Amino acid sequence: MTTIDHKKILAERLSARFGRRTILKGLGAGILTAATTGAPSLVRAQQSGHIKIASIKVIDTLDPHFTGFLSSIQIINNIHNGLLKIVYDGKNVTFEPDLAESWDIEGDKVHVFKLRDGVKFHDGTPCDAEAVKFSLLRVKEGEPKSPHAWKLALLDNIEVVDPLTVKLTFSQPYAFLPVALNGSTGRAGTIVSPAAVQKYGADYGRNPVGTGPFKFVSWKENDAIELEANPDYFEAGLPKLERATFVLMNEASTALAALLSGQIDGMTDCPMQLVDQVEAFPNATLYGEIEGNYTFVGMNCKRGPFDDINLRRAVAWALDRDTLVKQAYFGRAQKAFTPISPPMTDFFDPDIATSGRGQWFDLEKAKAYRAKAANQGEVEAVYMMAERGPVGTRVAQTVAPMLAEIGIKAKLELVEPATWVKRRNGSDFDLYDFEWVADLDPDETLYPEFKSDGAWNFGGWVNTDFDDLCAQAQVELDPTARRALYNKAEDLLMDEAGIAVMAHMPIYKVFSNKVKGFQYIPADLVNLHTVSIG
Amino acid sequence: MLLKALGKIAQTFVVLFFVSVASFGLLKLAPGDPIQIMLGSEYSQASYDSLKAELGLDQPFLVQYADWAVQFVQGDWGTSYVARAEIFTYAFKEALPVTLTLASFSLLFAILVGVPLGVLSAIKKDTIFDAGSAVLALTGTAFPSFLLGILLIWFFAVKLQLFPVMGYVSPWENFRLGIYHMILPGLTLSTYFIAMITRLTRATLIEVLDQPYIAAARARGEPNWRVVWVHGVRNIAMPLVTILGLQLGVLLQGTVLTETVFNLPGVGQMLTSAVLGREYLVVQAGVMMTATLFIGVNLLVDLSYPFLDPRLRSRK
Repeated sequence: MTTIDHKKILAERLSARFGRRTILKGLGAGILTAATTGAPSLVRAQQSGHIKIASIKVIDTLDPHFTGFLSSIQIINNIHNGLLKIVYDGKNVTFEPDLAESWDIEGDKVHVFKLRDGVKFHDGTPCDAEAVKFSLLRVKEGEPKSPHAWKLALLDNIEVVDPLTVKLTFSQPYAFLPVALNGSTGRAGTIVSPAAVQKYGADYGRNPVGTGPFKFVSWKENDAIELEANPDYFEAGLPKLERATFVLMNEASTALAALLSGQIDGMTDCPMQLVDQVEAFPNATLYGEIEGNYTFVGMNCKRGPFDDINLRRAVAWALDRDTLVKQAYFGRAQKAFTPISPPMTDFFDPDIATSGRGQWFDLEKAKAYRAKAANQGEVEAVYMMAERGPVGTRVAQTVAPMLAEIGIKAKLELVEPATWVKRRNGSDFDLYDFEWVADLDPDETLYPEFKSDGAWNFGGWVNTDFDDLCAQAQVELDPTARRALYNKAEDLLMDEAGIAVMAHMPIYKVFSNKVKGFQYIPADLVNLHTVSIG
Repeated sequence: MLLKALGKIAQTFVVLFFVSVASFGLLKLAPGDPIQIMLGSEYSQASYDSLKAELGLDQPFLVQYADWAVQFVQGDWGTSYVARAEIFTYAFKEALPVTLTLASFSLLFAILVGVPLGVLSAIKKDTIFDAGSAVLALTGTAFPSFLLGILLIWFFAVKLQLFPVMGYVSPWENFRLGIYHMILPGLTLSTYFIAMITRLTRATLIEVLDQPYIAAARARGEPNWRVVWVHGVRNIAMPLVTILGLQLGVLLQGTVLTETVFNLPGVGQMLTSAVLGREYLVVQAGVMMTATLFIGVNLLVDLSYPFLDPRLRSRK
C-alpha cells in the first residue's frame, strides 16, 4: 500500500466536487452572496411551503451522538451537518466534504479538513475548528459514553491548526473513516454546537442546535416534531421549504390513509405490506431501492444444538430464499448469497448468483449435512420472534416449515419487543431472525457483528481467521485488495454458517406528487434540503 | 355527609399508594430496560453502563421507588429517560386533556344518542323498531372499535374526504376545528357506550313504566310525553350514573386503541409507548392519573346519589 494509491482513491472520492455541477453551484453561491449582501431577505424570500411527513417509528433522541435509531437520524440530518456527507447519483454512493471545504490526506493516517468560512450554528455561535474538536471528543471520550465512540477509537490526536483547519491523526490507516465521519448514518462525525451542549447537558437531544438547513422548533411527544428553515444555511438557495413537520405516528395504515386524503405529504418509511396500495395510488411517488442491509436467521453457536457446524450448515442450505422473498418480504426483497449488499458497489459482485460463493437453497445438500450432524434424532429448537422489524413474525413463520424438512422442530416463541432485545443481547435463544441495515461499508456489515468477542455477535460464532481478515481490511485503503479480504471473510462466515443469510431489502419512502426535489439516498435518509412543495 | 366524603378521600390515597407500588414493581419485573431499547443494536457495554448510571437506573428498586414517590408528591414528575421529555408537561398538560376531551365527547355523544334510542325502544316495546335497535345495540357492543375506526377512516376520510384522518386540535383553542377532528374518533369510541346506554335505558324504563305511580300519573290525565320524559326518564339517572362510573375503565381502555388509530397524542398512546419503551416514570405518571381519575369519578358517583334520588337523602 503506497501513498500514491491512497491519493488516487481520495481523488476519485473527491472528483464529484470538481465536477461541472458543483462548480456551477459554487459560482451560483458567489453570485448569490454578492447579490444578497445588501438584502438578505432575497434568500429568505425563496423559502415557502410547509411539508408534513409521517414518521412511523420511534424517535429516541435528537442527539446525533446518542441515537440508536435511523428514524431519528432522518430528522437529525436536517438539523445538523457532518464533516462529510453521503451523495448518491443513482448508481454510486460517494462521500463528500459537507462542513469541510476540502479534505486532504497527509501520508495515510493524517486527515486535514479545511472548514467552510462563516458557518454558524443556529444559536449564532461559529462552527469552527474548536467546535469540530469539541464534537469529536464528545463522541470519543465524553461522559456518558456515546454508543458510537468505537468509530473514533483509532483517532489519536485532534489538532486545531487554525480556526478553520483541523488535523486528525489516526493510529492506523482507517478505511471506515468516510462512514464514521459522515453526519448521517455515521453519527460520530456530526458536529453539534458546543454552547448548546454546555447549556442543555443531557437534554441536548431535546434542544438540538446544529448548522443544518432546518432549525429545531418543538417536539411534542406522540404528536409532532417541528422544524423551520434556517435562512442563513451555508448552501446557497437552500432550504426551499419554510417549515417541516414530522408527524409522529404509531399506525402505518393511518399514515397511509392520511397521505391518500392529502392530510400529510409523505412518509419517512412505507412498510412493505402497504407498497401495493401506494403504487395503485396515482398522486404519490414511491422511492425505494435495495439498500445496504441483509437479513438472516441467527443461530446460537454457543450452545447445543447449533454448536454443531453440520446442523448449522443444514439450516443454511435448507432455507428456500425464493419462497422467503415471496411470502415474508411481499416479493419486494432480493435474495442474498452473502451479507455484502448491492449498494456497496466496490465490494458487491453483481454476478454473485453464479459465482458459487455464499449460501443458497439446496435441499439435497442440506439433508447431506443433516445426516452428518451429531444429533440424528429430531432436534427441538427455540425460535424467538417478536412483532418488530420490517415484517414482524412473517420470517419465523415461513422458516419453521423449511426447518421441519430437515428434522428441526422450531418452537416459535412470540415475545414482546423489549424482551426480544434483552434475550437477543443475552444470547438466550436457539434461533432468531434479524436485519442489519443502512450499512455503507463492509466494515460495518461484518466486523462488529461477527468479531469473535464483538459486542453485537449475539450468536457467538468464533473464527479468528475471520477476525484477522477484517482487521487487515480495516486498514487497507485499496478497494481491490480490501474487496478480496472481505470476500474471504464472508466466505468463512457463510461456509461455517455463522448465520443463514436470507435477503437484501428495499427501504421505501413515499411522497405526494406535490413534493418536488427529493433526493433519494440508499441509507434510509430523508434529507429535506432540496425539497419543495407545490 | 362531609365526614363520609373525607373518609372516601383518605381511602383514595391508600389505594393510590398500592397502585403506584404495584405498577412500579410490575414494570421492573418485565425484562428489558429503556437504555437497551434506546441504544438499539449497535452499542458497547461501557456506553450502556455509563448511561444506566447517569439515569439512576443502577440503583436498587426501593431507592428508585422512594426517589420517585418523594418527587412525585412534590409535583416533580421527572423527565423521560430517553427522549428527556418533562413528564408533568407531557402527561398532565399535553396528554391528559386529549384523553379527557375524547372521553367526555364520546360519553356525551353516547348519552345524547343512547338515551332517546332506549326510551323509544321502551315505548315501542316488541315492535320492529325495538328489534332493530336491539340488533344495532348488539352489533355496537360486539364490533371491535379499532376495526370500526379504520372503516370510518377509509369511508368518511379517504373516500368521501368529509373528515380528517387523524390528529388532534384542542376544542378549547379552536372549537370548530377541534370538534371536526373529534367526530370520527368520538364515534368510534362511543359505539360501545351507545349500545350499552340504549339497552340500560330500555330495561330500566320498561320496569319504571310498570310502577303504580306511572299508572297514577296517567290516571291524572297527564299527557303521554310528560309521563314518559318527566316521570319515567328521571329514574334512569341513577342506574346510568352508576354504570358509567363502573364502565369508566372500559372507556379509558377504549381510548388506547382509538388514540392509536386516529393518532391522538393522549394518555393511551403515552402509556403504550412508555410500556414498550420501559419508561418507568412515564408509566407511573399515566397510572397515577388514570387511577386518580377512576377513583375520583366513582367518588363523585357515590356522592351524587342523594342529589339524583331524594329517597337517599339522610333525614335530619
